[in-house]
Amino acid sequence: MPEWLRLDFVAMERILFLMGNEAIGHGAVRAGATFACAYPGTPSTEIIETAARLEGIHAEWCVNEKVALETAVGTSRAGARTIVTMKHVGLNVAADPLLTLTETGVNAGLVIVSADDPGMNSSQNEQDSRNYAKFAKIPMLEPSDSQEAYDFVAEAFALSEEFDTPVLLRSSTKLSHGRGQVVERAPVEFEAREYVKDITKHLMVPQWARLRNRFVIERLQRLRERAEESPLNILEAGTADFGIITSGVVYQYAREAFPDAWFLKLGLSHPLPYKKVAELYERVSRVAVVEELDPFIEEQVRMLGLPVIGKEAIPADGELDPDIVFQALKPYVTGEPPQRRLPVFPPAPRLADPPPAADLPVRPPVLCAGCKHRSVFTVLKRHKVAAMGDIGCYMLGADPPLNALDSSLCMGASVGIMAGFNEALGRKASVAVIGDSTFFHSGITPLISAHYNGAEGVVLILDNRTTAMTGHQGNPGSGVRPDLTEGPAIDIQKMCEGMDIDCVTVDAADYPTLKAALKTAIDAPGLSVFVAQAPCALMVRENRGEIDVDEERCNLCGLCLDIGCPVIAPGEDFVSINDGCTGCGLCIEVCKRGALSYAEREIDR
Amino acid sequence: MSDVTTVALVGVGGQGILLAAAVLAETASAEGLEVKASEVHGMAQRGGSVLSTVRFGEHVWSPVYRTADVVIATELLEGHRGLRILERGGTLVCATTTRIAPGSVLRREEAYPDDLAADAETRGVRLLAVDAEGLALQAGTVRAVNVALLGAASVVLPFSAESWQRGLAAAVPAKIFAVNERAFALGRDAVDNEDAQDL
Repeated sequence: MPEWLRLDFVAMERILFLMGNEAIGHGAVRAGATFACAYPGTPSTEIIETAARLEGIHAEWCVNEKVALETAVGTSRAGARTIVTMKHVGLNVAADPLLTLTETGVNAGLVIVSADDPGMNSSQNEQDSRNYAKFAKIPMLEPSDSQEAYDFVAEAFALSEEFDTPVLLRSSTKLSHGRGQVVERAPVEFEAREYVKDITKHLMVPQWARLRNRFVIERLQRLRERAEESPLNILEAGTADFGIITSGVVYQYAREAFPDAWFLKLGLSHPLPYKKVAELYERVSRVAVVEELDPFIEEQVRMLGLPVIGKEAIPADGELDPDIVFQALKPYVTGEPPQRRLPVFPPAPRLADPPPAADLPVRPPVLCAGCKHRSVFTVLKRHKVAAMGDIGCYMLGADPPLNALDSSLCMGASVGIMAGFNEALGRKASVAVIGDSTFFHSGITPLISAHYNGAEGVVLILDNRTTAMTGHQGNPGSGVRPDLTEGPAIDIQKMCEGMDIDCVTVDAADYPTLKAALKTAIDAPGLSVFVAQAPCALMVRENRGEIDVDEERCNLCGLCLDIGCPVIAPGEDFVSINDGCTGCGLCIEVCKRGALSYAEREIDR
Repeated sequence: MSDVTTVALVGVGGQGILLAAAVLAETASAEGLEVKASEVHGMAQRGGSVLSTVRFGEHVWSPVYRTADVVIATELLEGHRGLRILERGGTLVCATTTRIAPGSVLRREEAYPDDLAADAETRGVRLLAVDAEGLALQAGTVRAVNVALLGAASVVLPFSAESWQRGLAAAVPAKIFAVNERAFALGRDAVDNEDAQDL
């Protein structure tokens, strides 16, 4: 049994088996945080879900990450330790408050969790959030397993208050969704801080901001001195003449791949402790930086004039694992050590090896069988308009055979792209397709902008009353909160009426009505909102009955196959309806030969 | 890395891979081992291929590893995929009667692979073919395919019956515990009976 596991026997401590995200949620409560907020986003969502189940902390879903961070600033100012969480692209949305929050600092500790998604398991880009720590000149902690995820939260709060700064706690998919044993620690004593009005610190007009900016620059220097002596940054002795600088879950990969190497393990990875780096170079003649995505640490090491093995060996894209790290660095462990010479030109980065060619049928995610919003994509295909899509489940409408979308960029982008596209072409050449949660996140302001500027277009809101892709979190449309209490549910129809925007709401499951109403909306001039309502098929499971295929009438014309339902399959002479059918009946509606129908139900006698 | 065992659980989103991984991890934990695991969430859960990894041993560094010593597959095509990450000499425990055709197969663009046994033999790995769907139905619900397979896999994993019991109790929600306990026992018996001579 590993040594630390024996802590099980210490009074008041127990061992939990936690996902990194759960560990952060538990760690926040243990650290005395009383407020947690977020907008859901893979791989960060479970932090708030965990916190909401625990005592002593209030958890909220905010409409987007900017609002979440601003709400967090409010609770921190008021004296409550606060944790705010988001996925990497969410930090872009929150970047505006962050870059000035660094100037104001905090009252009670404020910890921002950003969960990166190397390899884009469930994301539209592969950005490296660590750059925000440098950009905002704030400290960054990078736990490498569930135990550290739990422990580092308390460290982050302490740093936040001591240095009067927001702290970035950076995670990545394999930490957030990796599990490990966690020894529960005694709670941290924290007393709520008093709010004191101070406009030189809290009201950022140029005269005060200039002073605070000087504070930020000096603070970064003091933080670097702390990083030099912090127990979170450990120089681990090895036996090989080879050293590795690394941080986060990647440390675990490198440690497994090279058990004999020296390690500079960075838990407080920004600002970089230069002297600790130099210390490693005194011990070994070859040093590699192992990091996912950008050469974030590597560039700083090069800036010190030190030769280093970096992105010429370690892929600059995708997720790493112990095998990739081993294969990448094997050629560098022995042989001639790199010589120090100036100037040092950074090498061209290596890219990850492409995955082996699939010799088996691939199984991509699909729009669910029984998703009532399939009807919208089916109708949309009949119209000669480009469809500007958005983030969430409805991106799956882009897959064959639906092929119903032209674009997807970032949260809420569909509406602005539609407005611009139609403006440039001078006609209603495109529509926007957006989910309800994404609309609340950042679809409302571009709608107002389009309305103001007299844009042409139809904004289709596929309203399933939940944030489905991330695991069915509540949103302002459902009113459901993280603790499952219910607040007001916002009516999009009324909201549009209030802004004097034409809006029609239809039942997405009523195909004939939907088809006619969408034609009317697309043909009409001007801007309108089209709300297709139906609950997520995974949340409200209903079965409207078994569907029969008339083997004589079916001629395999393919109309029902074109709706992209995963349970309809072509046979030799006719189609078959397979397991998983929910009887939604869309295939019956699109069939022109009457070959599909609900099976006759047995009548109770 | 030699004292660490890696088990990969593969299947189709919605088949209960996360629950099976949780049971396995709790069981290894009950044996006093260090355990690390990795899960797939988000986009991949919409009917796509899913992979969970559970690694256990005296000390485990990485939660993920490229290859596995044991692969547990809740679906036949995913079993074929699982063979490609299985170490030579490893074991594939596969629900061979569960076939979920992906879109490209339904549209007849690609063929669903057959002959898992031959593929396994070529690769020098052991195959435990289990009618997990039949066993799960016998236990009371087709949804217990995941735990029936774990029962079968328990024959090749180094844990005591008591640890499995503790693992099931820790990970399976109370209201579906009884049916899963039955499915586990049926899975274990099925392999004991069919492959006793093979072990």
